[in-house]
Amino acid sequence: MTAPLETPLLETRGVWQRFGGLVANSDVSISVGRGEIVGLIGPNGAGKSTLFNLIAGVLPPTQGSIMFDGEDVTRLPAAERCQRGVGRTFQVVKSFETMTVIDNVIVGALIRNTKMRIARQKAYEVLEFCGLAARADKLAADLVPSEKRRLEVARALATEPKLLLLDEVLTGLTPVEAQTGVELVRKVRATGVTVLMVEHVMEIVMPLVDRAIVLNLGKVLVEGKPADVVRNPEVISAYLGDRHAVGA
Amino acid sequence: MDTHFAQRRRRDLIVAACLAVIAALVPLFVKDVYVQNIMVLTLMYAALSQSWNILSGYCGQISLGHALYFGLGAYTTALLFTKFGVLPWFGMLAGGAISAVIAMALGYPCFRLRGHYFVIATIVIAEIALLLIQNWDWAGAALGIDIPVRGDSWLKFQFARSKLPYFYFALALACVAWLVTWWLEDSKWGYWWRAVKDNPDAAESLGVVVFNSKMGAAAVSAFLVAVGGSFYAQFVSYIDPESVMGFQFSLLMALPAVLGGIGTLWGPVLGAVILIPLTELTRSFVGGSGRGVDLIVYGALIVAISLALPKGLVSMFSGRKEATR
Repeated sequence: MTAPLETPLLETRGVWQRFGGLVANSDVSISVGRGEIVGLIGPNGAGKSTLFNLIAGVLPPTQGSIMFDGEDVTRLPAAERCQRGVGRTFQVVKSFETMTVIDNVIVGALIRNTKMRIARQKAYEVLEFCGLAARADKLAADLVPSEKRRLEVARALATEPKLLLLDEVLTGLTPVEAQTGVELVRKVRATGVTVLMVEHVMEIVMPLVDRAIVLNLGKVLVEGKPADVVRNPEVISAYLGDRHAVGA
Repeated sequence: MDTHFAQRRRRDLIVAACLAVIAALVPLFVKDVYVQNIMVLTLMYAALSQSWNILSGYCGQISLGHALYFGLGAYTTALLFTKFGVLPWFGMLAGGAISAVIAMALGYPCFRLRGHYFVIATIVIAEIALLLIQNWDWAGAALGIDIPVRGDSWLKFQFARSKLPYFYFALALACVAWLVTWWLEDSKWGYWWRAVKDNPDAAESLGVVVFNSKMGAAAVSAFLVAVGGSFYAQFVSYIDPESVMGFQFSLLMALPAVLGGIGTLWGPVLGAVILIPLTELTRSFVGGSGRGVDLIVYGALIVAISLALPKGLVSMFSGRKEATR
């Protein structure tokens, strides 16, 4: 069952997350429309990763609800959300190190294909899409860091997600690698997958995203078109401090 | 790439078939009962270690309490036969089923533990079970159970005069355990288990229900080990708690797989073929006073192999393509 097209694919409604006395997310309400590329940005400690984990289902929010594809998924565990079409990558890469690259991707493909032969075929196609086909029979442990990032994306894509959550996949790459990554994200969107990406390096994401949501101190600070967001004094002050905001 | 993978699996199957045929022919030439005895034990431990490897090698949940399932299989078969006259063949299945259920019941709390805590839990639980059996009068308590032997019979699976039937059963068991592993290796369970071992969080994010995967591995592993225990009870025809549920069995199931190559298809077989004859030989030749010497040999061997071949003995054969697994 698919919800009507006008409902957003993802919606968080008044989400709070507290860790003891620390409030990581307070009253966060965001929505991501079908086919969009949305950037979730903000300085370190803004609560991006927490919100990301709440959406992926690593833990349930203290308060509030999360709607995916028109259904309430607030209490569903990560595996169940993957089943419903949420794919994710990890900021600190979590490859299956003792398995080959193709085997890593097969694990993802198995959720939609129970026949091994078809899952293997599907995994190979995804590797080609991500430019990793030449590495298929290598051990994941032997990949260089940028390839491991792409493997994270490939594995998530093999689960045929409706929403792909990218956690700082472009951070820490050389400019050339980052550019390849940007092109990959565009290609992914072109296949009809919605993308929500967390980054804290604005220069990389701003040209790529349709819309940016800025978190600061656990709250939504601003959201809007990238060009508007980067000029917003509140955003500049959050990133660089109040002194710079005045001069901007 | 697809064919390369399929070729390797087909080659494994052919090699296994050849080895099984060769093994089946060995007793035609080797008539010595002592040697046959060692061969039976070697095959049995190959089967046990292969089964242990499913949970601990592929799924990465290291158990040092598998003696529990071995003992459960042995006791279920022996009790059903001596108390109710149920044939060992049914006892074997009952023992396997009971063990699988108990493995899942124990897994329910224990699979929430990670790493060393899980290992400790498996040891403690097996020790508790040992104490319970030792104090259970109906099951023979510390004295154990004597299985009455009333002549050679496949129906009752007992043979007083010849070791050969036991040999062929042990061979069949080793083949079944190997085939189950071979089949699982290229099934969704096999992939899920290796993913769970390598990184449970990433596995969960790809739709793998980590908890259920561990439960599945525990059930299959416990079932096969219990069948081995049933076989052992028939083979020795006398069991007591220490001789089927002692901690040394847990170690003897783990060691061949660890030495041969943990989480590999061939590791347990290779490890058993080297380790078990070695222990048996040292045990007999070093003599009655040498109870500790075979353990010293183990120790030295494990240290030597883990230093020289940290990925196990199989890595000697694999060359480039499979050093991986």
